[in-house]
Amino acid sequence: MAGDIILGYDGSEGSKAALRVAVAVAKAFDAPLTVVFGYEPNPMGGETADYKNQLEKIGTDHLDAAVSEAKAIDPSVATEPIVAALRPVESLLQASLEREARVIVVGGSGERPIVGAILGSVPHKLLHRSTVPVLVVPAPED
Amino acid sequence: MTTTTADSGELGSSPTGEAAGGKGLKTGALGLVSSLVIGVASTAPAYSLAASLGFVTLVAFKYSPAVMLVAFVPMLFIAAAYFYLNHADPDCGTTFTWVTRAIGPRTGWMSGWGILVTDLVVMPSLASIAGYYSFTLFNANGLANSTFWVTFVGVAWIIVMTAICYIGIELSAFTQVLLLGAELIILTIFAAVALIRVYTQHITHSIRPEWVWLDPFKLSISTLSVGMLTAVFIYWGWDTAVTVNEESKDAKRTPGIAALLSTLVLLAIYLIVSIAAQSFHGPGFLTNNSSDILNALGHDVLGSPWDKLLIIAVLTSASASTQTTILPAARSSLSMAVHKAFPPRFGSINSKFLSPGFSTLVFGAVAVAWYIGLTILSPGVVLANSILALGFGISFYYGMTGFACVIYYRRILFKSVKNFVFIGLAPLIGGLMLAAMFVISIFYYSNPANSASGGQAWFKFISFNVHVLGLHLYVTKGVSPILVIGVGLLLIGFPLMLLWRLKHADFFRRSREAAVSLEASAPPLTLGVIPVTD
Repeated sequence: MAGDIILGYDGSEGSKAALRVAVAVAKAFDAPLTVVFGYEPNPMGGETADYKNQLEKIGTDHLDAAVSEAKAIDPSVATEPIVAALRPVESLLQASLEREARVIVVGGSGERPIVGAILGSVPHKLLHRSTVPVLVVPAPED
Repeated sequence: MTTTTADSGELGSSPTGEAAGGKGLKTGALGLVSSLVIGVASTAPAYSLAASLGFVTLVAFKYSPAVMLVAFVPMLFIAAAYFYLNHADPDCGTTFTWVTRAIGPRTGWMSGWGILVTDLVVMPSLASIAGYYSFTLFNANGLANSTFWVTFVGVAWIIVMTAICYIGIELSAFTQVLLLGAELIILTIFAAVALIRVYTQHITHSIRPEWVWLDPFKLSISTLSVGMLTAVFIYWGWDTAVTVNEESKDAKRTPGIAALLSTLVLLAIYLIVSIAAQSFHGPGFLTNNSSDILNALGHDVLGSPWDKLLIIAVLTSASASTQTTILPAARSSLSMAVHKAFPPRFGSINSKFLSPGFSTLVFGAVAVAWYIGLTILSPGVVLANSILALGFGISFYYGMTGFACVIYYRRILFKSVKNFVFIGLAPLIGGLMLAAMFVISIFYYSNPANSASGGQAWFKFISFNVHVLGLHLYVTKGVSPILVIGVGLLLIGFPLMLLWRLKHADFFRRSREAAVSLEASAPPLTLGVIPVTD
């Protein structure tokens, strides 16, 4: 298992656009596609157990949807979902290392740069920290 | 089939071949420093001192350092309960679920309610301190003494903090270390300067520290209990240091060391500051300035502009404390909703920010309403009423957690001396101490003359006189607001629980559980699946 295409998926419009591109890239390279949903409750404040379980359910639902969508686009691409108890950026970086990924594909959030800077932007952080190429797919215009 | 992560291991191809559910990416393991910082920052030393030092002194006078020392004992014992309950399976526990499993669904529901009420009761004190200290930071003393403007900024504070929790903005671990480090250093400098000046200069009403300040046996049981009920608040939140540690990098050693270190840090800072504070101008100054203690003392001890450092420390501490109030409140109501003990909407997760959105917003809104309402109902003594009432809620649900630990592990208590002492005896004694403080304080505050609200009383038509076990419960011309807030809000939970039970009996049909070993994972508590997105 190496040379995977890693896709960050959270059910947003941007990540849906990224899914279509990621399937095409996986097909072109004849590489397996790994879809990642990362989450991590803020440890401040404790009481995280049930919250964590709920997040995991959401992640599983999103990824089930992503896998069936990928199968629908191209059944020949091998797709594997991963729900990770890590922040989104960390989970993508770690998946890219462990899978010796070819590329990480994520959706652009479509947020204005200043909003992204305040709220934290996954593509932005990835571009700075990833050791493999990062492909940012813009969310479709409304 | 989705691969999910539990704690560690390699992606997919796990060589250890763990059970189904699979292992995925390594989780964010917390180091010793992070665990320590989370525990101490959640306890918020600067804010806790600013809010409560004056009120502890009001009850215990010059023995407040002794009260702070002794109040730690039940909290330490209850932390052992948190540690062991969390240890059974870190993925299944909060006070609400633990008590539900161990003692039963009704007590569990009431404990969950206790957490929500306690988190609510602390909000006005956080908001009013944030409002008051924000104005004094900019020397706007006129505004700082205006109830309207302090409330205005306090409400804005709650709204901003709720938004931060809703969106899920987090400080980086590094920033947290910096802020907490600065808070502790400023408190230490404040105490050191105060003590040096007491020994080298002539300060009005100053007294040199005496060992007898640390002797709790100089106090009557009643005074000690009431003082401790106020003082447990300064250690409130410390248990997170014990529970986050299940995910530590070295799960065998880190939790113990982090808990021990945070204990020493907190005890040291509280003792040094409370001793320094009362030696500087004497205990009388503390009781006269109980609502703005660190501002008043900081000004005299450090002088302008250095006293602003202390004010900044109180504000950063209050912001950490507000977040560690809103986050667990929202997560507790989420927890109750997931287990069908609360309306399902409270279990929903915001799809964009992945926060418990509805729970967070409702808590923020109720906190604003409660703060404004309390400001109108008890003008001038919002802080006093909130801080003195808070101990009831804390004692209630911490005590329940202690009892839950003993009951949940009842089958393995006698398997080793270690089990008996740490899982049985310590949590039991902790729970009994908190229960005793709770009951004795009810008698004490039943006399409105004993409340810091200057004899203020609500429900003036209530009047009765009872003797129980040699204790005198007399309520004349109304009830102290401290009792109404501290005990009344807990009691409201009971009819609400019965009401919920009428339509949603599922949750209340659960039977009690007991652990058969320390290592065994508890089965999931969930009774059904509810929609998880907004």
